[in-house]
Formats: sequence, structure tokens, C-alpha cells
Amino acid sequence: MKLGFRRKIFLGFFALLLIQGIVMFFWVSQVMKESLLEEIKSHGHSIGISLSARMVEPMLAMDFLRMKVLMDQTVQLDDDIFYTFVLDTKERPLIHTFKNGFPVELKDVNSVSDKQKGSMQLLDTGDYLIYDYAVPVFVNNYRLGTLRLGLLQTRAEKATNKITVSAIVTILLTILMASVVGTLLLNPVTKSIKKLHASTEKALRGDLDVRTAPSLKRNCWDIMQCNQKECPAYENFHHRCWYMAGTLCPDCIHGEYAKTIDSCQQCQVYKKCSGDEIQSLAESFDAMTISLKDNFYDLKSAESIVNEQKALLQTILDAVPDFISLQDHEGRFISVNKAFCEMLDRDNEQILGKTNDDLFPEQFAQIYNREDKTLFETGIALVKENKIVVAKGVKWLHVVKILVPETKTMGKSLVCSGRDITQLKSVQDQLTHAQKMESVGRLAAGVAHEINTPLGIILGHAQLLLEDIKDQELAYKDVQTIERQTKNCSKIVKDLLNFSRSGKSATSKFDINEAVKEVLGMIGHTFSLNQVVVQHEYDKEIDLVMKGNKEKIKQVFINLLNNALDAVKENGNIVVETKSVKAISEKTQNGIEISISDTGKGIDRDNINKIFEPFYTTKAPDKGTGLGLSVTFGIIKEHNGTIKAFSPSTSGKNKGKGTQFIIALPCDLNYT
Amino acid sequence: MKYLWSVLLSLLLFYGCGNQDESVIKVDLNIKERVIFEEEPDVINYAYLPQYSHTISYTRHHAIIQYLRKETGLNIKQIFPDTFNQHMKMVGQKKIDISFSNPFIYVNIAHQYNARAFARIVEVKGEDKFRGQIICRADNSLIQNISDCRNKRWIAVDSTSAGGYLYPLGHFIDNGITRKDFKEIAFAPGPGGKQEKVILSVYTGKYDIGTIREGSLEVMSEKIDINKIRVVSMTDSYPGWVYSAREGLDKEKVKKIKQALEKLDLNNKTDGAILEAANFIKVIPSEDSDFDSVRQLAYKAGLSSEEHGEIHR
Repeated sequence: MKLGFRRKIFLGFFALLLIQGIVMFFWVSQVMKESLLEEIKSHGHSIGISLSARMVEPMLAMDFLRMKVLMDQTVQLDDDIFYTFVLDTKERPLIHTFKNGFPVELKDVNSVSDKQKGSMQLLDTGDYLIYDYAVPVFVNNYRLGTLRLGLLQTRAEKATNKITVSAIVTILLTILMASVVGTLLLNPVTKSIKKLHASTEKALRGDLDVRTAPSLKRNCWDIMQCNQKECPAYENFHHRCWYMAGTLCPDCIHGEYAKTIDSCQQCQVYKKCSGDEIQSLAESFDAMTISLKDNFYDLKSAESIVNEQKALLQTILDAVPDFISLQDHEGRFISVNKAFCEMLDRDNEQILGKTNDDLFPEQFAQIYNREDKTLFETGIALVKENKIVVAKGVKWLHVVKILVPETKTMGKSLVCSGRDITQLKSVQDQLTHAQKMESVGRLAAGVAHEINTPLGIILGHAQLLLEDIKDQELAYKDVQTIERQTKNCSKIVKDLLNFSRSGKSATSKFDINEAVKEVLGMIGHTFSLNQVVVQHEYDKEIDLVMKGNKEKIKQVFINLLNNALDAVKENGNIVVETKSVKAISEKTQNGIEISISDTGKGIDRDNINKIFEPFYTTKAPDKGTGLGLSVTFGIIKEHNGTIKAFSPSTSGKNKGKGTQFIIALPCDLNYT
Repeated sequence: MKYLWSVLLSLLLFYGCGNQDESVIKVDLNIKERVIFEEEPDVINYAYLPQYSHTISYTRHHAIIQYLRKETGLNIKQIFPDTFNQHMKMVGQKKIDISFSNPFIYVNIAHQYNARAFARIVEVKGEDKFRGQIICRADNSLIQNISDCRNKRWIAVDSTSAGGYLYPLGHFIDNGITRKDFKEIAFAPGPGGKQEKVILSVYTGKYDIGTIREGSLEVMSEKIDINKIRVVSMTDSYPGWVYSAREGLDKEKVKKIKQALEKLDLNNKTDGAILEAANFIKVIPSEDSDFDSVRQLAYKAGLSSEEHGEIHR
């Protein structure tokens, strides 16, 4: 268990006093003991010298009675004086204080020369330890004898024991006193600290309505007698006015705490209400929590706004079809948008924190790493088009990488945005191709226009020849062949002219079903020869009347039906369906939908996108020119319609079989 | 820092725990003997009248004793009677063989115990006589001359003192002042050191006047400021201190001692030191008649017949 502040202080006090006590006990007391012992020894010596001085006269007078009285008086002076006796110059005892005779051994155990003031020897009698003092008795420079004095060591022992006991008692009393004083001093401090700690805990748990500082006996409104009830400090018992903003006291300087505190410290309210450091700490803590609460509220609001903005930004970023990513200075992805996730076919969590090496194949990752490194070093933005291979195929991306400068909270980073330009690329290709085809078309139209007249002349002359030549003649067949091939050429020229839209077209209102019927009537016989059944399913509820060039529309049907016949070859089924399509909104238009489907072999996926290109054909060179569907596409487009090819069929009776062409043409249908 | 504190604490404790051993000698107090003072045989006891303390007496005469022992071959030993009366009685009891006393004591022991003078001293000032002094405190404005001593408190050395009582009393009588004219007459109490006690009594203001022998103030110069003592008057000179032998002492021995004393020469370095210590410069031959003037003075002062009997001549 960890010690509390109070216990630590107590233990500190105790340890200090204990050390002091030990030092006192072992050192100071020892010094005192030695001093006392020296004093006692000196005292013994002083008694000896004093007695020797007083012994001179009686010794000279050989007044044994006075000598005895003096020695007895001296022995009676102090219980510790065990004996005294006097030796003459021949070391013979003259007088002594012993009862029942003089101890012989005492004579020789201690001696003092004429040059010494005295001599001391510790004697052990078996029962006692005695300090024996020998002091010469002089009359001026003449020695009369030696005074001997025995001092029991008991006094010294008693004194040292007394010092020891005193030292221990002093230590204990000091510790006790220190404990009492420490308790009295520490109690308010520890109480305040505990309160402060509780407030801190409360604040940490989010409750900032803490009141740590003690209530005052007199407050600012009492002292100033302001009676300003609208003042925020008025009757606020828990917070000091110098921590508050917006007080109404005329002496107050308004502004931040740092600006006002110097002025407040001169105010009588501050002088009377400010307390010690602990109270100041509690008061400033309360003030801090108030400030913190306000700041916390502002922060929460700011955080809420930031979160909203962040969510909005993320939504915008996710809504952006371009992919956007942010990488830190180590190349780790720290933010990506939805498009980026979709591009990599991974979740946000699977991407964040990862690097190029984790997300891309090695060869691409190395390239990207090199690019990133160069960008971090040079800061020059990178703009390029990337061709990447993903699960769904090849994609073209337009990539822009920009270096974000270092900020206080984040190092250098890298923003990368990329746009999927696969479709654009495709359109670009188509456009290029279309431009090429337009050029070809114009060229072909020019050629057709130029050769149309000679062809007419050839055809006319050939027909004139046929009239002139009998049919039995050999040349007749040749001329027929010329006529027939010339017609073929005319047809090609005609197609070319149609393709180039250079031909004149006459528009009129007609019923689409009628046009279908006319076509089927025209080609029905040929189809029946090949055992191919053509079914016409038309909308009977409404007349499918449209405005356009009926002949061209019929040409469309003929082209599509011929292609169907070529695909079916024989024993097949061709279904022509017509129906009206109602507009689903104001922006869309009513229309007619014509579906022509067959049960043929169908078209490969790779080729289906190319079938409307001019001169594209899978037929043998003498079977088709590759212009049929191109002309068809042009006619439909001329009529503001659309034509789509599906293989296999997606609807109708031939669903799942062969090929289906669906033509949508706008018209003003009258729904009743 | 932590280690420094530990070392300091250890040193303090080490010092504190240290104890200086003292050598101890074992003694057995149970082996005892009786102490018996043994008197030496053929001892000639020499006593100096205790006008001063025994210490001064010893200091002054120890060298002379040593000299006499060496010079005469006699076992001479100085003894220290406590009072003038004891001195006199010990002469009578033959405990003092050689007495060195003032002339007043001498006339008394000569009268009472048949002691006989054989030598006397010459004072440091070169005279074979000496005087008494009447002293008072220097700041005592009431006593300017001897007549101012009337009705005053007087302390004298001893009733048997020559310079300290007899000579001043004679001087007072010569000036018309009798013993009855004093408010109080006291004598220095206790044994020995009487000259000093008189001086101290006046010095402290206990008595108005004191009487001492000439030269005593100089003895006290190291103990008090003698400038605070004023000599009011001086007595006439009378014979100085005298060596006398008790009745019955072997005359040969007396002769040896007399010769030895008379032999002392101030000019001799060794003798000079002895004489200087004894506070006189020479010892000259003397006889009983040299002290008749003292006898007459005692008679005049009324001290002869009343207290000391008749004067023998």
C-alpha cells in the first residue's frame, strides 16, 4: 500500500527526529558524558587541590585533629568521596578517613611528582571503581607531603545514566511534541489536499461543478457593501471575485485574469479574503474548473462542428467518383474515400495504416514508392495517367499527387486524387474511329456521287443494248450481267450516299406496323424459301404512327431482317415485335419500340460492340459490304432514336436465343 | 549524496559509540595497618612566634632550619604553635627548645620559664630595633592624627604582641590615651596570621584603627591594595626579635646554634637567600638585659604586673 502525504510527512518527521535522537544519543550524549566525566575528574582534582591547600597549616602545626576534621568534612561534602589520606614526604600515612585501619595497598598505587599538579588513577576494589587523586602538598616550593583523595565512579555513572535517560526522554518528548504539532499543522493541510484530490477526481470524471475552496466569513459584497445583486460575484460563496470576469465593482479592471490580478492584489477584498497557499490553490483550482468548463463547452461545440464538417467532407469525398487518398510521410494511408476503397475492392479499415507495398502488386508498388519519394524530396506535383489491372479488368486512371506541407500536428503528407477515365478513353477511341469513318464516309460519298452518273449511263446503255440484242444471242447474257452488276454498283453507291447522309430524305407520318407489314410482304417469300418463319407481334391498342422517312425505316427493317436470315440460315424463327412506350417523366418522350430477334448463332461478346462500325462484317467478302448496320445506325440516329444489339435475346419469344435488336423511336402517340 | 549522508551518520555513530578506555589498577582495601606517628629522637624544636600564618612562618624559616641542621648537625625541626600563649606555654613545657619571638613574649617567657636570649636580629632596614604602627583606612577623614584615635574601635594583634599591641599602647599612653579611652579594644582572632587579620579588619572597615608591627603592610601588599591603608602614627623603636633557648637546653647545642646564626652573612649568596627568606639581614649576639626597655614599657602600660607578673632583671 502506498503511503499518503500525511503518513509520509509523519514518517519523515519521525525518521528525522529518530536520526537526530540517535545522533544525540550516541554522539552528543557521549560528548556530554566525556565532558561531564572530565568535569567530575576535574572536580575531584579541584577538591584535592583545595584540601591540600587547607592541609598546609595543620600539617605544619602537626595538628592531627584539624587535619582529621578537614578530611572528614571533605568526605562528608559529597557521598562520592570515598576516602582521603595524607602521606608525608617519606610516603608514610599521616592521617586518613578509613575506619579500622589504613589499606596498605593504596599507598603505592598512585603517585605524583613535585613537577605535577596532580595525578589520577582508576582503581578497582572489586566492589567499586574509584578515581584516586594524588595532589602534592606544597608550602611555596617546599613539599610537605601528598594528599590522596578517592572519588567513587558512581557519580560519573549516575551522571552518564542520567544523561542517557535524559537523552531518551528528550527524544521521545520531541517526537511526541513533533507528532502533536505535526498533527495540528498537517490536519488542515491534508484535509485541504484530500478535498482538492476529490475535486480533481470529480473533474476528471467530467463533473466540473467543483467547490474546493472553503467558504469565507466575509465576502466581497460584505466588505465593499456594494449591494449589486446583478454582479456575478454577488452572493457567490464558493468563488472569489478576483477569478471572475464581468464583475461590476467600480474598482475592478475588466479583462482577462492575467491583466486584472495585479490590480486585484491591491484591493482590500483580496487582502482580507486571500488565504494561505493551500486556500489559494483551492481557489485557483475552482477558477480553473470554471474556465475549463467554459473551454470544454466551446471545445465540444467546436468538436461537434468539426465532426459535422468531417462527416460532410467525407460524404462529399465519398460522393466524388474520383478516388482520393492521404498518405503520411512514411507512405501509410491515413485517409481514403469510398471510390478508393471500391477501386481496391477493400474496406476502409483494410486500407488505413497500410502502404503501397501492402495494397498494390510489387511492380506497381515500387513505381508508386519511387514517385512518392521524389514528391517528398522535390515537392513538385505529379500528374499522370495510370493503367491498372483490377479484378474487373483494365482501368485507366488520371492521377494527381500533391505534397501537403508539414503542419504543427502532422508531418509532410501526400494527397493523391485519381479519376477513372476508362470510359473517356473508350469514347476517345470511338471518337477517333468515328472521325476516321466520317472521313471515309465523306470520301466514299464523294466517290459515289462522282460514279453515280457514269453508272447511270452504263446502266442505261446496257439496258438499251438489251433491247437491241436478242435474248438468244451470246452477248445478251453478258449485257445482262453488265446490267445486273451495274445495278449492284448503284445499290452500293446508294448505300454509300445514305451512309454519308448526303441523300435527300422525305419525311411523313406513317404507321410503323404498316411499314413492317410492307417489308414482310416484300421479303416473306424469300424467307419462306429458306424455311424461316417471320412472326409479327404488334401493339394493337394504339396506332404506332411516327413522323419520319418511311422508306429509310423500311430499309432498316430489311437490313435487320436480312441479317437475321443470314444468322438463322434455314429452319429458324424470326420475331418482329412492335409496341408503344409511354413517357415516364416530363423529360422523356413517348415512343415506339421495335424488337427483331432471331434464333441464329448469335454474336460474340467481343464483336457485338463493333457491329455498327462501317465495313465491319463477319460475312464472306461477296456476301456483304459491312455497311448495312452502319446505314441502319445512321438512319435511326437521323430519326433521333436508338438501336441496341443483345446476344442472346433478352426479351420476347426468342429470349435466350440468337440476337435481338431493339429500336426505340420517338413519336407523338395519342393515348386515350 | 545518499552515500555521503550514510557515511556522515556512520561517522557520528562511530564517534558516539567510541569510548576511551582507562587503565585500572586492582587494589585490595581489606589489607590494613594502623597508622602510628613516631616521634624522632633528639629533636630540637624550633618555633617562630605565630605572628603570621604557619605558611609564612614556614617559608621564612624553613631555609634557616635546613641551614642550622646542616651547620650544627643537630636534628632541628620547626614546629608551629598556633597562638602566642601556646608558644609561651610550649617553651615552659620544653616542647619548644629554640624560640624566635618578639621582645614582649621573650620578657614573659624569660620571666615565667627562665628562657634566655642568646641572639637577636637586625631588621631589613638595618636596625636591630623595630617599631609599631597605628593604621586606619586611607579614606577615614575622622582620623588624622593619634589624638583622633580616642573613642575609636581598636584592633590589636595580640595581648602579647610587642609591635602589634605593647609598643602602640605605650605610644597611646605617652599621648594621653589610655585603654579606657577606646570605644573597643579587640585582638585578632584564631591561630596564626594575626598581623594580616588586623590589617584586613581595618581594610574592611570593621575597626577604625589597628596596630601592627612595622613591615607587616608590605607582607600584605600582594593580597590587598595597601595604598588604601594609612599609617596614623609610628611608635618608638624597641629591641627587635630575639632568639632564646628554653631552660635546661644543652648549652653546647645553644652555642652551636648561636654560632651558626651569627655566621650568616648577607653578602654570601647562599646565606643571603636564607636571610632574605627570613626577612632579616643579620643575627647578632644578645643577652637578657638588652630587653629591659621592653620590660619597663610593659610596666608602664600596666601589662607587666597585671597579666605577666613582675619584671625580672
